[in-house]
Amino acid sequence: MLKYTTSINDTKIFDNLKIFETSPIMKLIVRGKSREFISSVGKSLNILLPNEPNTSSSGANVTALWLSPDEWIIYANEINSDDSNSYIIESELINKISNTGLGAITDVTDQFVMLNLTGEKIYDLFMKGSPFNFNEFKKKKGAVTQTIINKIDVIIHNKNDAEVNLFVRRSFSNHLWSWLNDSARFI
Amino acid sequence: MSDNLRTSASKFIDQTTRVSFKFDGKTYFGFKGDTLASALLANNVHLVGRSFKYHRPRGIMTSGSEEPNAIIQINKNSSVTEPNVRATEVEIYDGLEASSQNCWPSVNFDIGGINNILSPLLPAGFYYKTFMWPASFWEKYEYFIRKSAGLGQSPTEPDPDIYDHNYVHCDVLIIGGGISGIMAAKISAENNFKTLLLEEKPNLGGTTIYQKNDYFKINDQYSSEWLEKEIDQIKNLKNLEIKTRTSVAAYHGYNYLLARENLTDHLPIEKKQNTIRQRLLKIRAKKVITATGSIERPLIFDNNDRPGIMLSSAIKKYADFYGVACGKENVLFTNNDTAYETAISLNNKGVKVNAIVDIREENKSDLTNEINNAGIKIYNSYTVINTKGYKKINKITIMKLSKDGKTVTDSKVDIKCDCLGVSGGWTPAVHLFTQSGGKLKFDDNDNIFIPNKYPSDQLSIGSCNGNLELEDIISNINVSLKNFLKIDKTNFEKLKINSSKSISKRNIWLLPSNKTVSKTKAFVDFQNDATAKDIKLALREGFRSIEHVKRYTTTGMGTDQGKLGNMNALGIISDTSNVKMSDLGTTTFRPPYTPLTFGTIVGRNVGEFFDTFRKTPMHDWHVQYKAKFENVGQWKRAWYYPKGNESMHDAVQRESKAAREGAGILDASTLGKIDIQGSDASEFLNRVYTNAWSKLAVGKCRYGLMLNEDGMVYDDGVTTRLSENHYIMTTTTGGAANVLGKLEDYLQTEWPELDVYLTSVTDHYATASVCGPNSKKIISKIIPNLDLSDESFPHMSFKNAKIGNIKCRVMRISFTGEQSYEINIQANYGKSLWEKCMEAGNEFNITPYGTETMHLLRAEKGFIIVGQDTDATLTPIDLQMDWIVSKKKYDFIGKRSLYRSDTIRDDRKQLVGILTDDPNEVLEEGAQIVADTSKKPVEMLGHITSSYFSPNLNKSIALGVVKGGKNMMGQKLFVPMKDKIINVKIADPVFLDKENKRLNA
Amino acid sequence: MFIINCPYCGEREQSEFKAGGEAHIVRPKQPTELSDDEWAEYLFMRKNIKGIQLERWVHIHGCRKWFNMVRDTSNDQIHAVYKMGEKPPIK
Repeated sequence: MLKYTTSINDTKIFDNLKIFETSPIMKLIVRGKSREFISSVGKSLNILLPNEPNTSSSGANVTALWLSPDEWIIYANEINSDDSNSYIIESELINKISNTGLGAITDVTDQFVMLNLTGEKIYDLFMKGSPFNFNEFKKKKGAVTQTIINKIDVIIHNKNDAEVNLFVRRSFSNHLWSWLNDSARFI
Repeated sequence: MSDNLRTSASKFIDQTTRVSFKFDGKTYFGFKGDTLASALLANNVHLVGRSFKYHRPRGIMTSGSEEPNAIIQINKNSSVTEPNVRATEVEIYDGLEASSQNCWPSVNFDIGGINNILSPLLPAGFYYKTFMWPASFWEKYEYFIRKSAGLGQSPTEPDPDIYDHNYVHCDVLIIGGGISGIMAAKISAENNFKTLLLEEKPNLGGTTIYQKNDYFKINDQYSSEWLEKEIDQIKNLKNLEIKTRTSVAAYHGYNYLLARENLTDHLPIEKKQNTIRQRLLKIRAKKVITATGSIERPLIFDNNDRPGIMLSSAIKKYADFYGVACGKENVLFTNNDTAYETAISLNNKGVKVNAIVDIREENKSDLTNEINNAGIKIYNSYTVINTKGYKKINKITIMKLSKDGKTVTDSKVDIKCDCLGVSGGWTPAVHLFTQSGGKLKFDDNDNIFIPNKYPSDQLSIGSCNGNLELEDIISNINVSLKNFLKIDKTNFEKLKINSSKSISKRNIWLLPSNKTVSKTKAFVDFQNDATAKDIKLALREGFRSIEHVKRYTTTGMGTDQGKLGNMNALGIISDTSNVKMSDLGTTTFRPPYTPLTFGTIVGRNVGEFFDTFRKTPMHDWHVQYKAKFENVGQWKRAWYYPKGNESMHDAVQRESKAAREGAGILDASTLGKIDIQGSDASEFLNRVYTNAWSKLAVGKCRYGLMLNEDGMVYDDGVTTRLSENHYIMTTTTGGAANVLGKLEDYLQTEWPELDVYLTSVTDHYATASVCGPNSKKIISKIIPNLDLSDESFPHMSFKNAKIGNIKCRVMRISFTGEQSYEINIQANYGKSLWEKCMEAGNEFNITPYGTETMHLLRAEKGFIIVGQDTDATLTPIDLQMDWIVSKKKYDFIGKRSLYRSDTIRDDRKQLVGILTDDPNEVLEEGAQIVADTSKKPVEMLGHITSSYFSPNLNKSIALGVVKGGKNMMGQKLFVPMKDKIINVKIADPVFLDKENKRLNA
Repeated sequence: MFIINCPYCGEREQSEFKAGGEAHIVRPKQPTELSDDEWAEYLFMRKNIKGIQLERWVHIHGCRKWFNMVRDTSNDQIHAVYKMGEKPPIK
């Protein structure tokens, strides 16, 4: 059978900072505009899609991050098995959203690598390569931003005090990983 | 050392820690806290360099970043060497080696000194005037000019130091940690603003911190004592971050500033390892307070550049801060009271002051009384007309000034001295303010330019705002900060200030002498050797604009950017041309304020971080199997896989043959993939591609060509209809991001009514493309239950499949002209899929091939590569791809442009096949194509865009664009090369299998 | 480097954005009906004003939404941003 190979598959520990890749994590891009779309997604996932910019919402199984007025990324709260890439949540949403013409559901599970960062030094690390102002962001649990770190596009979710999930496109993940590890030496 | 000029203990210098360093090969000692300049002065070394043009001996002149003369090389002949460093800013450490520049063989005996004697032959604009004729000689001149230009030597080895960058966001940024900056920092931080205070020097407190003078008191304490307590307090403020040794280099719009934080330069060598040397701070501040202080001006008189002639304020700092006397016989020459402060400081330390020469007719202040009490002679209304002493000043000559200040009268008086302090008043450091776009106004009273209009949320305070007296500084801070920070009160409204004021003023830009200006060397810009005479010559020769005079005379163009000389230059221009200073304006101050190392600018963007790279899921396999890589956009793509010592040519020939005879496999994961969904998806594709999409059946694939509105080919790729309202589009590797951007642009701005959603899935899928006569057999081994029969799964169609439990998509599409299957699978299974294909294909000699073979194979088939065969000047018609342009569709992007008068010309460059007469001759890509070589200039008809030796056809093939090429089939043309002319003829661009037998086999 | 107030995401650094030229140039609904000159007017002609200019920008490294901006090209002051389809807030 096919072997599952992630791009990072590593954990790094620095002073007050730990970084590792969480996988496999189901990720979906859901897109739509209508009120029906929002309520249908909400019912299927049992969460409210956040409509306030730069915020997120979390349910029992998934977390939804606001990306733009008609775009969200939804990711599973728990890792799933790597011997299948069919997800019940995805099929449910395709039935309720794509097939009814309410919006679009796209599987991006491997489009993005999810890195988990914990520790007091997370933002000191980010500030070495990101023009984004994290001063308020780091105080707001649940805050979301799409920005750049070392010229690479990232989505950052402030999951908890001193814990973030960072999403980066898979093809860029090695470079960003390498950069994060290099820069973490000097924080 | 016999010449020890250390006078008294200073609390800023740690006299218990001796530091040994070398200057010009000789070992000296200083103390921890010394700069190279203060340590050299303590050893009575003034002569540290030669001037740029005349090679005149030059000494240390200042105590800060404005230093024009003491520009030295650090750690010569090593990889960490740094040229053009100011000795006044280098903090000494054990093992420091410094050397003087611009002199040979030594600073004491410099051959170039002959230029000083030849100086009448080297007037302003000398280079412009001399090296213009004859023009053909320029290359020879250039060699010599380059040799003599520049000051220090640039390093020749890679820099081993580490640098990095840091973004900083704050509410209030304060630049300058003098008394104004400290007060502002306290007010700001205590009012809950997140505040950052930057100071370029190692210590806070500016000039006030060593001001122990009875005539400058705050709350009945010495101003230094008062400030010390304030500094101790602010160090504990929660909202305040203080960075010393941090110099702001640039102030851009929207309060974006760049600063260089120097972390290790002052540390001993062993502490510099494995840590950041310098850091570039990229600062975004909501509000900026500039408290950069002011720079003392020199006075302009004959031979004002000798070693031992220094700024009066520098002498004071060396005495009060470093505990170093710059001379044993001091004279001060001034037009204001600050030199009196210097005299008092020296006198208090028992250092002899022989006289004060003051151009003012009279002066009444507390300081003057103090000087009189000390018995120091003051020559009022006198000026220095000349100085003596080649390598160190030993005498000055003074004469009485006339009433109008334009001439000198009476008899000469000689005064002995080994150090002359000069003060021509103070110039507010408005550099950063003007960099930010601020506009200045001229203050006639103090002869200074001061901030007038702020372009962003910022404020200048202290002497950089033109407040030159202690009382004014403090009262202005109280008023302006309340307004600026929108607060009710400040911490400093009830301070009791006692300060002596400099009331009498007299300013003469160019001091008169008993000689005519043309016979004098009165230096205005010390680093570039620009004199008052040069400026006057430039004006005589017709230069009027201050920017032109600057370039002609090179005033203000040194590494110090004219920090000392610019105001005097302006003054002389103003006086000479009778234009008011306010009308004259200043030259533009450009970043950086002080020079930055390249390391700081680059940060960690070196080596593997020089540019962003992207990897496919199969990357590690390619590495393991020794692939050579090619950069395609940001992607690292396998280029070819040499076996053993195989050359690139041999590898590509082998791979190309194998792909057509057995099987080949290509990593196509880099192709852009866009998921398109929505009820208007078909209509959307109709509008963005040149061909029609509505009738494409579900499960089928179609090749599409995308144009710009100007009708030129923009991108291409295969799009597959996955279901009624669901497509997946592929784009070129390099074009992916731009195509998605362009499509989003149309959707959001031109066609918001369309129900279409686009999502990039490029990275979600790994794509393995298996081609060749055995491809079907290989795929059937991997996915046994998939019906691969031509009836069920013909060319240009798609099927969903599963490998084990893992869903994937299989497309039967081909870029090589061979029967070919592309398996798209979730990226994390990509490497495993690839290995499975290799295993299944083993019996068929499956051969991995890279981009080079892919290019060759598609060229045999006559398929274009957008960006290689096209260059944004070719329409589909030019590419002979008329078949893909729908005649029926009412509109699509670029359609209207296909029948503009320019795009319907017959003689446009058109894509054709090109064959060489000699089948073994391979043309060079980019080579020109011509018809007639006899008529000069030879008309270029076009050029070669792709060229290969085809192993499958056993001959050279090429594609190229040729004017009117479409109608020139079979015509003979020439490709002229450096050493030969190659005979070619125009051919059909499809060289192999025109009938598509292989595709459908 | 500007600070741009994305109408969707708020204030961000300029490096997250891409400029897209002059705003309010509407693609003709029926390009085939236009003369060469009329088409060229749409295709090539741009104002390039010194002063207040209406521009298109996209938050390319953020929400990927296009929007319009009122910018003074003489001093880079951004006077307003507004969404696609909205009227310019000045004049």
